Amino acid sequence: MYRFASLCSIILLIISMDARSEAGAQPAPTRNPSAAKARIYFIDLKDGATIPSKVKIRFGIDNMEIAPAGVAKPNTGHHHLLIDTPLPPLDQPIPSDFNHIHFGGGQTEAEITLPAGEHTLQLLLGDHAHIPHVPPVVSEIIHVRVDAATVAKTRTPAPAGASVSLIEPADGATVERKVTVKFGVSGMELASAGTSKPNSGHHHLLIDTPLPALDREIPSDLNHLHFGRAQTETEITLAPGDHTLQLLLGDHEHLPHDPPIFSKVVHIRVANAALAKAAQAAPTAGRQPSPPDAAVYFVYPTNRESIYPNSTIRFGLRNMGVAPAGVAKPNTGHHHLLIDVDTPPLNQPLPSDLNHVHFGNGQTEKKITLSPGEHTLQLVLADERHIPHDPPVISERIKVFVKNVRKRSRKR
Amino acid sequence: MRHGRFATGLLIVSMIALVPALTPLQIAPAQAVDRIASAPSALVYFHYPVDGMRVPERFTVKIGLKEMGVAPAGVVKPFTGHHHLLIDTDMVPLDQPIPSDYNHIHLGGGQTEVVLTLPQGTHTLQLLLGDHQHVAHQPPIMSKKITIYVR
Repeated sequence: MYRFASLCSIILLIISMDARSEAGAQPAPTRNPSAAKARIYFIDLKDGATIPSKVKIRFGIDNMEIAPAGVAKPNTGHHHLLIDTPLPPLDQPIPSDFNHIHFGGGQTEAEITLPAGEHTLQLLLGDHAHIPHVPPVVSEIIHVRVDAATVAKTRTPAPAGASVSLIEPADGATVERKVTVKFGVSGMELASAGTSKPNSGHHHLLIDTPLPALDREIPSDLNHLHFGRAQTETEITLAPGDHTLQLLLGDHEHLPHDPPIFSKVVHIRVANAALAKAAQAAPTAGRQPSPPDAAVYFVYPTNRESIYPNSTIRFGLRNMGVAPAGVAKPNTGHHHLLIDVDTPPLNQPLPSDLNHVHFGNGQTEKKITLSPGEHTLQLVLADERHIPHDPPVISERIKVFVKNVRKRSRKR
Repeated sequence: MRHGRFATGLLIVSMIALVPALTPLQIAPAQAVDRIASAPSALVYFHYPVDGMRVPERFTVKIGLKEMGVAPAGVVKPFTGHHHLLIDTDMVPLDQPIPSDYNHIHLGGGQTEVVLTLPQGTHTLQLLLGDHQHVAHQPPIMSKKITIYVR
C-alpha cells in the first residue's frame, strides 16, 4: 500500500485537511437521513473493466445533491472513493487515508493513479461531517484491472517497427569465454543515456536473466549491462557453460520504451576448452616478483562507505607502476577488481568474468554499477599474463553499502 | 624569496622505490611530432593534494586518470599514456616531447603516485599525460594547475 500511498498523495493533500479535522471526533454521532431512491455510481466505468494506471473517474448521483464537507444541508453529501477496502463502519466518520479518498470539495470527478493489478472501487456518500447517511448511499463494488503496460507514465513511446537484435553471437553458437557482442538497432536512433530525444534509446544487454519489469528503470548490475554511451558492441567474459543474451532498449532514463523494444533471447555455449587450457598453463607459469612495500589500495570508496549504485571506483598503487596487459615490464602490473568474490588462487591467471574485472588497458579508475545492498570489493595487481605477483599485491577486501536510490520520476 | 625556480639541490624527488630511474629520454631536438589521439572525456586530476592545500615538505602526489589507461613509457597502446608532473613551471609546448628535468617529473614506469619533497613556500603542480614517446596527446590531457603551500 505504500506505493499506492504515494500515488494518491496529490489527491489526499487536497482533501486531507477538512477530512482530518472532523474524522473520528465522536464515536457514534447522529446520522442524517438519505433521500428515498438516492443513488451514487461510477460514470462510464464498468465492473471488470481494464483501465490505465492513471485514470479519470467520474461520479454520478441521483436524487440527492452534492455539497462540500462542512455544509450541513438536508439531502446533500459528498463523495468518498473506497479503493481496495470494504465499507467502513457506517456509524462513524469515514476514515481518511489512502484507501478512503474524500472529495470534500464537492468534486464529481478525480484523476487517480493505481498500481498494476486488480483493484476494487466503491463510492460512499458522506454528510457534512463525513458520516454515511441512513440508509447509506453506496455504489456497487467495481472490479478493475490496471494494465501493467500503462503504469509508467514517463515511458517514452517507440515508433512502430523499431527493433533491436543481436548481430553477434548467433543463437546456438559455441563461443570462447571472451565474447564480442554486437548490437543492432533499426527504426530508432541510438543516443547516450540522459539525452532525451524522440525515437532514441541505448542498449541494455541482459545476461542470463529474463526481461526485467518494463515499467521501471532497467536494473544495473552484473546481469544488466548498460551501454549509456550508445555503444553498439561490447566484449564480455563469461564462465564456461550455457548462457542467454538479450537486448533491451532503454530511453534516456533507462526505462524501456512503450511498446518495449527487445531482441530475441540468444542462447550461447561457452566452451570449456579455454578454461582447461588456462588452468593447464597456470601451474607452470612463474610469478613475477613484486617490490617490497608495493601496495594496491582503494582511493575511493573506503571500507564500509555508503556509495551510489553508479560509482567510480578509484585505484591507488604504491611503489609499482601500471602497465597494460601484455606489457612485460618489471615492477608493473594492471589492476583487477574482484566484486563479491573470495580471493581466487594467486598462482594462476585471475579469472575474467563479471566478478573479476580486468583493467588490461592500464585504467586506474572505473565507473561500475552495483545493485543496492552490501558488496565486497578487492583489488589485485597482476602481471602481463594476469597472474598475481609474488608476494601478491592485493588490497584489503572492503565492504561497501550501495544506497537504494530511486529516480524521482514521479511528480508530486 | 619565492622558490619559483629550483636550484638542483632543492628538490629531491623520491621516485617510487624500485621503479628503476626515469626512463632515459631521447628528446628529439625541437621538432614537431605526430600526436596520438586521446580518449574523449579523458581527464587527469589530482587525488592529492588538491588546489590550495597546505602540505608537509615531504608528501605523496596521487594521480587519477579518467577514461584512459596508464602504460609505461615506450608502450604503444591506444588510449594509454604515462603521467608527467610539472612543478612550478608553465605548460610545455605540446607538439614536442615533454622535457625531463626537476620541473618536469616523468612517471615513465606507469606510476600513479610519486613522493615529492619541496621547500617551504608556494608551489604549483600540474599534470600532463604523455604518450609512449612523452608527447602530449591530441587534444592534450592535462590537469588544472594547482597551487599548494608547503609548510
